[in-house]
Amino acid sequence: MIKRLFDWLKQPLGLIAVGIVFLAVFSVAAYGLYTTQQSPAQPIQFPHKTHVAFGIQCLYCHPGAAKGPSAGIPSQAKCWACHQQIAKTQTSVLLAPLKEHVESGTPIEWVPVAQVPDFVQFNHRAHVAAGQNCENCHGDMTTQTIAENPQVFNMGFCLDCHIKSAGEDQAKLNKLADCGTCHY
Amino acid sequence: MATVTDLKITELKLSEAEGGKWGMVIDQDICTGCQACVAACAMENNVSFVGDVDSGYGRSMHWIRIERFWEGEYPEVKMTPNQPMMCQQCGSATCEPVCPAFATVHSQAEQLNLQVYNRCVGTRYCANNCPYQVRSFNWRDYERPEPLPNQLNPDVTVRTRGVMEKCTFCIQRIHKAQDNAKAEGREVVDGEFTTACAQACPASAITFGRVDDSESLVSQLIKHGHGVKHLEELGTLPNVTYFKGG
Amino acid sequence: MSEQFSRRDFLKLAGVGAATTAILTGCGPASRYVKREPYMQMPEYNYNGQSTYYATTCRECPAGCGLVVRTMQGRAIKTEGNANHPLNLGKTCARGQATLHGLYNPDRVTDPIKRSRGDASSTNVDWDSATQTVADALKNYKPEEIAFLMGTAPDHLFDFVSDLAAATGINAPVRFGALSMFEARATLSKAAENLFGKAGLPFFDIGGAQVVFSFGSNFLETWLSPVSYTRGFVGLREAKTKQRGYLVQFESRMSQTGTKADEWIPLKPGTEAMVALAIGRLAFESRGDALPRAFVDVDPLDVASKSGVKLETLERLAAMFAASAGSLAIPGGPSLGRSNGLAVAEAVLALNAIPDNFGKPGGVYFSVMAPNETESHRPASTQEMQEFVQKMADGKFKVLFVHGVNPVFELPKAINFKGALSGVEQVISFATFPDETALEADFVFPDHHGLESWGYQRVATGSAQPVLSGSQPVVSPFYNTRATIDVLLAAAQLAGGTFASALPFKDEVEFLQGKLTPLMSEAGGFFSAADINTFSAYFQQYGGWWKLDGAFGTPDSADVLNRNLNGAESEFSEGEFFFVPFVSPILAEAGANKPWLQELPDPTTTVMWNTWVEINPETAHELGLENEDLVKIVSEFGEIEAAVYKYPPIRPDTIAMPFGQGHTAYGRYAENRGVNPTDLLGQQVNEAGDLAFAGMKVKIEKTGKKLPIPRLESIMGVYGEALGEEH
Repeated sequence: MIKRLFDWLKQPLGLIAVGIVFLAVFSVAAYGLYTTQQSPAQPIQFPHKTHVAFGIQCLYCHPGAAKGPSAGIPSQAKCWACHQQIAKTQTSVLLAPLKEHVESGTPIEWVPVAQVPDFVQFNHRAHVAAGQNCENCHGDMTTQTIAENPQVFNMGFCLDCHIKSAGEDQAKLNKLADCGTCHY
Repeated sequence: MATVTDLKITELKLSEAEGGKWGMVIDQDICTGCQACVAACAMENNVSFVGDVDSGYGRSMHWIRIERFWEGEYPEVKMTPNQPMMCQQCGSATCEPVCPAFATVHSQAEQLNLQVYNRCVGTRYCANNCPYQVRSFNWRDYERPEPLPNQLNPDVTVRTRGVMEKCTFCIQRIHKAQDNAKAEGREVVDGEFTTACAQACPASAITFGRVDDSESLVSQLIKHGHGVKHLEELGTLPNVTYFKGG
Repeated sequence: MSEQFSRRDFLKLAGVGAATTAILTGCGPASRYVKREPYMQMPEYNYNGQSTYYATTCRECPAGCGLVVRTMQGRAIKTEGNANHPLNLGKTCARGQATLHGLYNPDRVTDPIKRSRGDASSTNVDWDSATQTVADALKNYKPEEIAFLMGTAPDHLFDFVSDLAAATGINAPVRFGALSMFEARATLSKAAENLFGKAGLPFFDIGGAQVVFSFGSNFLETWLSPVSYTRGFVGLREAKTKQRGYLVQFESRMSQTGTKADEWIPLKPGTEAMVALAIGRLAFESRGDALPRAFVDVDPLDVASKSGVKLETLERLAAMFAASAGSLAIPGGPSLGRSNGLAVAEAVLALNAIPDNFGKPGGVYFSVMAPNETESHRPASTQEMQEFVQKMADGKFKVLFVHGVNPVFELPKAINFKGALSGVEQVISFATFPDETALEADFVFPDHHGLESWGYQRVATGSAQPVLSGSQPVVSPFYNTRATIDVLLAAAQLAGGTFASALPFKDEVEFLQGKLTPLMSEAGGFFSAADINTFSAYFQQYGGWWKLDGAFGTPDSADVLNRNLNGAESEFSEGEFFFVPFVSPILAEAGANKPWLQELPDPTTTVMWNTWVEINPETAHELGLENEDLVKIVSEFGEIEAAVYKYPPIRPDTIAMPFGQGHTAYGRYAENRGVNPTDLLGQQVNEAGDLAFAGMKVKIEKTGKKLPIPRLESIMGVYGEALGEEH
């Protein structure tokens, strides 16, 4: 069976088939890679840079970051607290979805951008307490509209920083490079 | 980017003097075998139930089990004291060196035996090499029909098929307690938190704490009692002390 | 593409492509497209990623232990004991832990339904028509034709229906539960009444005792208040300030409690009363005291030959009991479930007169009354249930409301609750789970799960402090369920007449506040408040209200020994083996639908997920039976098939079976799993009206079949020939 397959593959037609298959696999992979590097479609085209430009602190909308594992996405009540006082909210096409959700009382379904896999236990608080700024991981929000993922959150990215920040302190390195610090 | 060789993690010293960090004391004389610890562990750690057929094959995934044996013939039958058995978090664990994927590693920071699920490739060498038989393997993706997943603890990874798992001494609780203490600028206090099994135990037969702190309750119990550590003669340096009592 | 390269192969290759992508990127694109719904309005006390804890009360059994439930983003994650609660002091049993598998059980009753009886299929109705149905049932029948059958928890609903009954003339609610049936609560209460002149639930201070003689009492398993009694057992064992206490268990089949005993006395079933009396007599003789009337008639030599306990053993135990200042004797378990159950209870309670421990530490007390309790209340005995069933069969009850109890499963088949339902015109169940009784109802209007409910439970025993344990919803209701009190209140308004004016409450919470109001002026509480809203807020926050101090009642022991006590042997029906059903220490009465409880090994046999029958290995050998041989157990009332488990600590003339499995409904984890030993039981009751569940003999027949039963002890698996094969 396998031998027949190999024989067939050596035929010109077979070589073309191999080429097509290779191209198919490659393009699926390439497309997959491409999609992960794009900001996902969000229900509202939320412009981070506009909000940052108004001088709103990150922690105003994502207060969980200083207190616990999850930074959190703000409730629409929080959005509305400011936006109901802004005249543009009533007219803007981009803001229409917000108005709609608030008026109909349905939650906005955001697509999370900065994610770690399920087997990673990440805690914002410890990172904020260690003096890390939001932009170190999440990029410069003064230039982003919809949040993008400036880097892939893989283990190399995390560990690189963990080791650097431990420096020469052996006890700290033991803690920061320990598998059990993030995986359990 | 750092590579593995850059890491200068201290080699574990396997001397007797090297005690663990976290330890447990179990009083078998008052353990009633009620299984509250087993249930509490399963609920805390997202342990899958495997169903009747796989249970029959010995694939149930209890991270902690209560062993008991019969002694003597009727009418002089006696049950040996209930023996809750879970990962002994050995200082020199036999499961660790056999893992080809470095998924079963020793935590330098917490002195625990870790199981890194995302590294595990399911060779099951570690389970075969564990003298306490406390590791359980995910033979399948065990079904948790909706809405049961609502109960899952978000602090603990949900394991999938082909992954080994075992008692972690509730490392998520250790981290949470340490994180809380750090946020408040203090050290973790003895008894501030405990493992799910110790917390539930109606007989308070399980005590958990720092064995490297001579003032902690576990250290005091170990010091003043006649406890045994199981299979200590193998040189595994287990961190669970049993009081047989009676 | 040629025929060698099929579409299937192409898809496989495409899959490889996707997998490659996943590996290259660390996490696949699919996992990125998760949706997150933030709160529309975040509760003030919530933080993202941080847990909120709510105090409430466990409803897995009527004991009333306090729980603190960890919730996160509106989901209940973990139950933990309420450390301040006087009954359980932060501890829970396995059933309390697994209660979340009830809350998130995949087989709950999700909507109000209507069905033809016995038909598993049903049609949904809306709550308006459900309320109308209840209203019609209340309005269209005479009050005396309306009956409520309720479980042993929760108490606030029982109080509500009691108040409703008092105001409208409908029948007072009757409560029942399998646990109270197997605990023989009526027998304990009646024995106390006969000996001490006052009915009530005795409390045994095991923790303060030195020598405990337990006659079948399973106080470490499901008995009355297991978490509290386990703490008592720890007190008995603790050797810090005193000697390590000694526990002797008298029972024909070693229970889980028996496994913790220092000595196990396998007496012949039915001889418990005479053994207790013989010990009493020998104890008095060992002291050289004059024999009181209670122990005069018993002949220890005769008892030794009848019970199978050697005279030397009786003498030794009697001397031990007489010598210790901290002796305590406890009746319970199967020894009360016999024709002479009341005599056993009296004889064993009377033993406590030897150290005269009544009302003293390490002795026998009366349980304290809970805060809003006026008289000692106990669930219906089996005899009272028989009367209830008779009225159903006779058509005296036209409408039956059922809440929190599953009598079709729990009562012996011989009592035929299911058959008697045909005499009832309308059966309305408020079941949370699709149990056997809900299957036989015309309507099921599901109540919330206990963790979604308001309420309270009186702590009947186990704590010296009077405790009213409070419940509050820890999560919002998951399904389209409704609190039964709210349904009844709305229906009462619709029904009009006396019903409309009977209970002037807006909803369940207002009713509860009405019940809590008297506590505000009561002295000795650990909190109080000037207004009811603050008081209820504290009540929720702390998980109940209790007094800071309290003392158990002292039984009047003046006449305990100055009476004739009956030491006659129990009567048994014809058969080969004494039959001892016992409540599964893990599943108890309603645990079978929780998958993790099913997977917890039984503490003595380590069996999971099934029913077994315990047979002494010698007997099994004589009968040619091996482990997992399927045998038929035949009584005069029925027959069931179960797998043999060779159990070393059981008398050769006795077989035992756990109660808890054998459901024909009750969700996917319980259905068609194991057998129900109550199918074998008859109608016989003891003098106090409790079922003589351990009062019969049965026959065993081989079937030639095998049934593998999963056991933890068999780590190699139980399928033998299939070992090593991928199943």
